[in-house]
Formats: sequence, C-alpha cells, structure tokens
Amino acid sequence: MRKIKVALENIVDEIKDFYDYKLWHFLTINGVALEDNKLEVQWIFSKYEALDDVMVYYVECDYKDLIPSVVEIIPSAIISQREIIDMFGVKVEGSEKGLYLDEDSLQAPLSGCSI
Amino acid sequence: MKKTINIPLGSQHISLLEPVRFKFECENEKIVGVDSDVGFVHRGVEKACTTRFKYDAVGYVVARVCGLCAITHSLSYTVAIEQLLDVEVSKKAKYLRVLLLELDRIHSHMLCLSHTCESAGFEAMFMRIMGDRELIMEIQELLTGNRIQFDYISIGGVNRDISLETAKKIVNSLDIVKQKVLGYIDEFTNNWSLSLKFKGIGALTLDEAYRFNAIGPLARASGLHIDVRNEIEYLPYKELGFKMQTHTDGDINARNIIRLNEILNSLEMCNNILAGVPEGEIVVKSKGKPSGESLVRFEAPRGELMYFVKGNATAMLDRVRIKTPTFSSIPAFSHIFMGENYADAPAILASFDPCLSCTAK
Repeated sequence: MRKIKVALENIVDEIKDFYDYKLWHFLTINGVALEDNKLEVQWIFSKYEALDDVMVYYVECDYKDLIPSVVEIIPSAIISQREIIDMFGVKVEGSEKGLYLDEDSLQAPLSGCSI
Repeated sequence: MKKTINIPLGSQHISLLEPVRFKFECENEKIVGVDSDVGFVHRGVEKACTTRFKYDAVGYVVARVCGLCAITHSLSYTVAIEQLLDVEVSKKAKYLRVLLLELDRIHSHMLCLSHTCESAGFEAMFMRIMGDRELIMEIQELLTGNRIQFDYISIGGVNRDISLETAKKIVNSLDIVKQKVLGYIDEFTNNWSLSLKFKGIGALTLDEAYRFNAIGPLARASGLHIDVRNEIEYLPYKELGFKMQTHTDGDINARNIIRLNEILNSLEMCNNILAGVPEGEIVVKSKGKPSGESLVRFEAPRGELMYFVKGNATAMLDRVRIKTPTFSSIPAFSHIFMGENYADAPAILASFDPCLSCTAK
C-alpha cells in the first residue's frame, strides 16, 4: 500500500492527474478519526491485473472542512461520498446525507469527536 | 411532454430477498430513471469492532456481516491482523483457507443461479439447484461444524484440521456437484425460456464496467479482467489452478455463464487442494498487539472485498473499514436498469446477486 499525502484543496487535481480509469480501479473512500478532532480521508485505488498494487491518496482535515467531490472524475464514488457523510458527519461537496442513517439515528458514529 | 410513472421495487418485494429499494421512473414499461436506497439494515459493525471487541475477537464479529460469505470476511480481517503482527501462516492452513473460500463461492454462486431461474419463472430449476447446493452445505458442515456462519478462521491459521476420511468424502461429493453443474451449463445455454429471459437483457458494456468500477462476476461478464485472486500473493491461488473467467456479452446470460464456469474452476481448485494437503500445523501462535495500518483485498463470491485495519499496539483497534462488493456495485446496478423493461427488473436484480446484509453492515 503506497500512501501519498495531499493538501485538501489539491486533492481533486491530484486524482484527476493520476486516475486513468482503464489502468486504476477505484476501491472506495475511507475515513479514519485522528487525535485532536482531525480526520484522515483516503481515496483508495488498485491497479488492474497487478500484484498487490494499492495506491492511497489522503488528506488530513477538520470535521468542519468541505471535502471536494471526485464524482466528475469517478462517477461511482458517489456512494462512498455519501457513506463518509453519514459515518463521520462531514460535508462533501454536492452529496447528501442519509445513505444508512435516518434523522433519528445516532449521527456520525465513527467520528472521533462530538459533531 | 411524456408522462412517467414511479414504480418501487422493494424494500419488501416478492422477487427480492434483500432489504433494498429501487424507485424506477418508467415511460410505459421502459425504465428511464433509477433511484436506490440501501440503508435499511445498518448494524454498526465497524463501530462495534473498535469499541466492543478486542482485536482477537473481531474476526468472529465480522463473520456475522454476511451469512453467505462469512469466510471471506473473517479471512480478510484475519490476514490484515496477521500482516500487522507479522505472522507467517503455514502452507497447510493456507490450503485449507482456500478450500473453504472456494466452497463458499460455489454455494453462493449456486444460490444466485437458482434465484435467477426463479425470477425467470423456472421454479423447477430453482429447486433443482437449491437441492444440489445442499451437497456443498454438507461439506462445509463436515469441515467446520456449521453449514453457514462458521468460525473456521483464526489468527495464525484455521481452527479445525481435515482427516483423510473427510477428504475422501468431500472428493466424492465434489464429483457429484461437477456432474450437476455440467448439466446446468447445458440448461443455461440451450433452454429456450432461459435464453428469452436472459440473453441481451441487463447488459453492461466493457467501457461502462470500467467507468462504474464494476467488480466480480458483473465485471468479468463484460470482459473486464478483474479478480482479486489474480492480484494477491498471500494465498497460493496460482499453484492451485486458478483461471480467470471472462465473457464479452455483459448481459444476464453472460453473468450466469461466468458463475457456472467459476464453479467448475473452484471445484478443480478444491480437488487440487484435497489431492495434496501439505503436512504441518494448522495454526501458529502470534505475539504482540497489532500496530500500524493494513489493507487487504479478497475475492468474495460477489467481487472485491476490502478490509482496512488500523491498530495502536493495544487490544482495541482504531479503525476497521469494511468495503463490500455490493456496496461498490450499486452505481453500476442503477446504470444497468436504464432503458430496460420494468418486467425484466427482478431478473436483472437477481443476476447482480446483491447482498444488502454486507452492504449496510
């Protein structure tokens, strides 16, 4: 697993430059709660027909930051974006909450802080 | 202006075993818009894995994410932990792990094939496949003690050994299953009713498979060469005779044929394992507590399953992320319905082999 740290404001451009849809398979977007009310957001890719070649682009951000959408580059990312909204209580550009959790559910269960 | 009507499919529907709801916008019979809702059974498994259970119990928790591919879930998590603990599993344990993984794939594919027949109105074929599937369920019980939800995988290996007598019984049963599957291939290829319902219906092109990041039999039926068994080294798939199955039509029929051919390949691999189970321990002891990050992928019956685990050198983990095959496939599913007839929606959906228990976890 190779990890590349990117500034939040540059993540869309970095993924646009990197992502060749016939070369790289988009796995998912992952969130990891960090200390000090920070969040690591990962965009994970694997190379088609390559042995254990996984690439992770990640940003460290605050829960209140607006996370840019990559749906124009990767249409199937829409469902992963909706998942991290529910699980971490973050905002993702152009994506709505409510994939898994109803209004009366416990909100943002995986966030490391109270949102 | 054309009039459209909205027709729901699910969350409870006669042709749907899983709690998912599709809302179809239709012009007469033709589907022109699709909306999906998968959030009916969220159980908070990821949260439970980091707050309620120690790392050495989590493998048994994640086996409950899915009844059908329990072994893939527990193995994916366990391999992630083994990588963090630097545990090298014996060759025998690796062979036994592949044996169970492939048995799981066989019975899961048989379940899907039977449901696609049921959705085409071919009830007799549905019952025939479900009856034959019992042979695999019995083998799983023989090996693990349970028909489903078996706690067979442990950190460092597997929990039960296999005797020579058991291996012989399994080889005999697998031979019967192989003959049954060859019979299915004849039916699925030549039966007029099934052809009418499946050929040219619910197709996904190769370019669409790439663009929607399709996985599993759905992707391979469109000609996309993606199978995690071909992309990992921690299990000896290549030496056991793994062959990737692909098709080019991308329709329901192609997905059925892919699953049938994969069953035959899985049977071949199981026979190769049983012909030469290596000598050695079935489990090695591990030391320490998991620290660092690990990402592991396995090919579940429905496609790529991913586990991301982050440990902090204590018994409780920081993060367990489960990315399930059906979750990744929802955008492709929604796209495939567009332009199809509403009457074909149940058969198309059955051919996806969706697992919402996995998806919502």
